[in-house]
Amino acid sequence: MQKVKDGPGSQAPANAVQKGGSKSARAWRRLRDNHPFLIMIFPAVLVVFLFNYLPIYGVLIAFQDFMPGDQIIGEYTRWIGFQNFTRFFTDVQFWPLMKNTFLLCIYGFIIGFPLPIIIALMLNAMKSKRMSKALQTIFNGPHFISLVVLVGMLTLFFGRYGLVNNIAAHFGGERVSYFLESKAFRPLYILSSNWQDFGWSSIIYIAALSNVDLGQHEAAILDGASRFQRVIHVDLPAIMPMISVMLIMSIGGLMGVGYEKVLLMMTDGNLEVSEIIATYVYKQGLTGVPNQSYATAIGLFNSIINVILLIIANTTSKKFSENSLW
Amino acid sequence: MASLTLKDIKKVYPNSEEKKSKKKKKGDEPEKQKANLQITDEGVVAVQQFSLDIADKEFIVLVGPSGCGKSTTLRMIAGLEEISSGELYIGDRLVNDVAPKDRDIAMVFQSYALYPHMTVYDNMAFSLKLKKTPKAEIDKKVREAAEILDITQYLDRKPKALSGGQRQRVAIGRAIVREPKVLLMDEPLSNLDAKLRNQMRAEIIKLRQKINTTFIYVTHDQTEAMTLGDRIVIMKDGFIQQIGTPQEVFNHPINLFVAGFIGTPQMNFFENCALSVDAGKYSVEVLGKKIALTEGQNKALAAKGVKPCSVTLGIRPVHMQLDEGGFTGKIDVSEMMGSELHLHMNVQGNDVVAVIPTAGLDVSAHSIGKSVNFSFNPALCHLFGEDGNNLL
Ligand SMILES: Nc1ncnc2c1ncn2[C@@H]1O[C@H](COP(=O)(O)OP(=O)(O)OP(=O)(O)O)[C@@H](O)[C@H]1O
Ligand SMILES: [Mg+2]
Repeated sequence: MQKVKDGPGSQAPANAVQKGGSKSARAWRRLRDNHPFLIMIFPAVLVVFLFNYLPIYGVLIAFQDFMPGDQIIGEYTRWIGFQNFTRFFTDVQFWPLMKNTFLLCIYGFIIGFPLPIIIALMLNAMKSKRMSKALQTIFNGPHFISLVVLVGMLTLFFGRYGLVNNIAAHFGGERVSYFLESKAFRPLYILSSNWQDFGWSSIIYIAALSNVDLGQHEAAILDGASRFQRVIHVDLPAIMPMISVMLIMSIGGLMGVGYEKVLLMMTDGNLEVSEIIATYVYKQGLTGVPNQSYATAIGLFNSIINVILLIIANTTSKKFSENSLW
Repeated sequence: MASLTLKDIKKVYPNSEEKKSKKKKKGDEPEKQKANLQITDEGVVAVQQFSLDIADKEFIVLVGPSGCGKSTTLRMIAGLEEISSGELYIGDRLVNDVAPKDRDIAMVFQSYALYPHMTVYDNMAFSLKLKKTPKAEIDKKVREAAEILDITQYLDRKPKALSGGQRQRVAIGRAIVREPKVLLMDEPLSNLDAKLRNQMRAEIIKLRQKINTTFIYVTHDQTEAMTLGDRIVIMKDGFIQQIGTPQEVFNHPINLFVAGFIGTPQMNFFENCALSVDAGKYSVEVLGKKIALTEGQNKALAAKGVKPCSVTLGIRPVHMQLDEGGFTGKIDVSEMMGSELHLHMNVQGNDVVAVIPTAGLDVSAHSIGKSVNFSFNPALCHLFGEDGNNLL
């Protein structure tokens, strides 16, 4: 018994020698064996480094009293520690900003996450494959509309003299300026976003569904499962790993809503709900008297929340299912 | 627990739209042949003129080369494919338009098709759950089936954690918990290695003693067909070639195809042998020797009124023996199989295989390049006419 146990242990170094001596020699050999792949991945690494990692250096200005034109690290750098952060936390805007960002994102998530999954399952379960393909193409269309055009369409439909109001007026209703109504902002924003992207987001699930073994469906048919039961018991479990991964990623990006569309839809009337962290950062950093240090601090704070959410989501998922990002 | 009747079943896979339009453009071409299947304007004819009566609790095996329409036939019985024309009865009920789940059948797939996210128990219980069977009854049935198949210890595992043979048992288990009237199996053993396949084959024979069900079993392996089937249905290019018990198809193959398909090594064929008749006695000339046929064969030929003609003579390798006074051949390959020796010989330009028992034989005397003399018993030979049909 003892000897057998010793076996692999004593063999390991011998093996290493056979394979080529020292650690560095082995690393060199790996490099040589894999160089085509390394060359292929190099541009991607370069781009990520240049545009995603290098700018992290700029985050330093969050801890400085930085004026445009200053050096980030130089003789005259004025380090102020966490002052920008404490200023944000005590800002009267802090809680409204947090609330607006959170609500916009969470509502968007609640509708926007399951919708593509349901659409994918429905398209996949359709009897006529031609119809399913046609619908898929139609659903993808809105994704290619630019944000500006989309918001333009929204004004055409929901503006004071837009289609909806015209119809309402025709039947004796009162005209409502939806863009000046705080109540209308979130529904308009979220529904239009989902309308634009549900088809596009469902592609990944449709691709996963196309891998489902046809035999399993046939077995389920013979087992007496209805079409709906097959979707629940065969299709859905098959794309569950994909759903978990997408869930983790969307929770990680939950608070990371972009400012462009909000800015386009923002009016004085809906400012109380439409001002979110991203638009506030934009306004602080680039308009009026720019305060880039402050804006950077707020942006950094937002990113940290996202990272924390991502870690929580991933650990939870790891614990309760076999799926996780890392 | 039910008889089955198939009446003139036909299956046409319709052409897809693209093919149709292509065909129209090219105009009227001669009918194309795809793997010997008929491709008509309607589409690919995969099965036709399939008529068969299956008795209650019979074990029927469909066998034939790849693409001959076995799976299609099985899937039509299961209801997974529409029947293009013809009638299918299970018991006395016409089921052409009955949904698969209401046909009271179960099927075992070649790829197992187990639900990967469910445990073995849940896989087996799934159909019963869908039928809203009481929990206690489900439990009893699943455990019974697991007992029969010896998979009780795996009930809590997921299919991923099982070997191929164990998965196959689960797939069979899933089919038998429902106590179906008809159990369909589509090449259930073809994903297993040779040893496991033999073992599972034996288990299926045992299973048959334990459950009372009509079996329809598809395979392209003729050993499986011979060992399992009460009756074998041999198919080719969508047509039934012969239906019969294993002995019948082995001893009286109806045509050249069946003769060549059933039995390993394959039957030896000698083409262009002259069949002559002299005073009511038939004889056939093979490899330059005239062989008188037996009484029985004479009667059979006379009854059919066979005229002197050119025939193909078939003789199984196992029916040949070493004989100093017989034909002379040169050994090309000599395969020692243990209890028997397979001699591949060249006899006047024909490839001939003989299976010789090794008991009391000097194997080294039959090595490659040596010449050998052999003969066969005329009573065991088969004669096929020009149309390929057996004349006897
Ligand atoms: N969906 C389909 N569309 C068109 N032709 C088909 C379709 N399915 C099967 N066929 C054709 O029908 C014929 C019979 O197929 P089938 O699957 O029944 O063969 P098989 O006897 O089961 O063969 P194997 O032993 O390889 O499983 C084949 O020639 C095949 O090309
Ligand atoms: Mg098949």
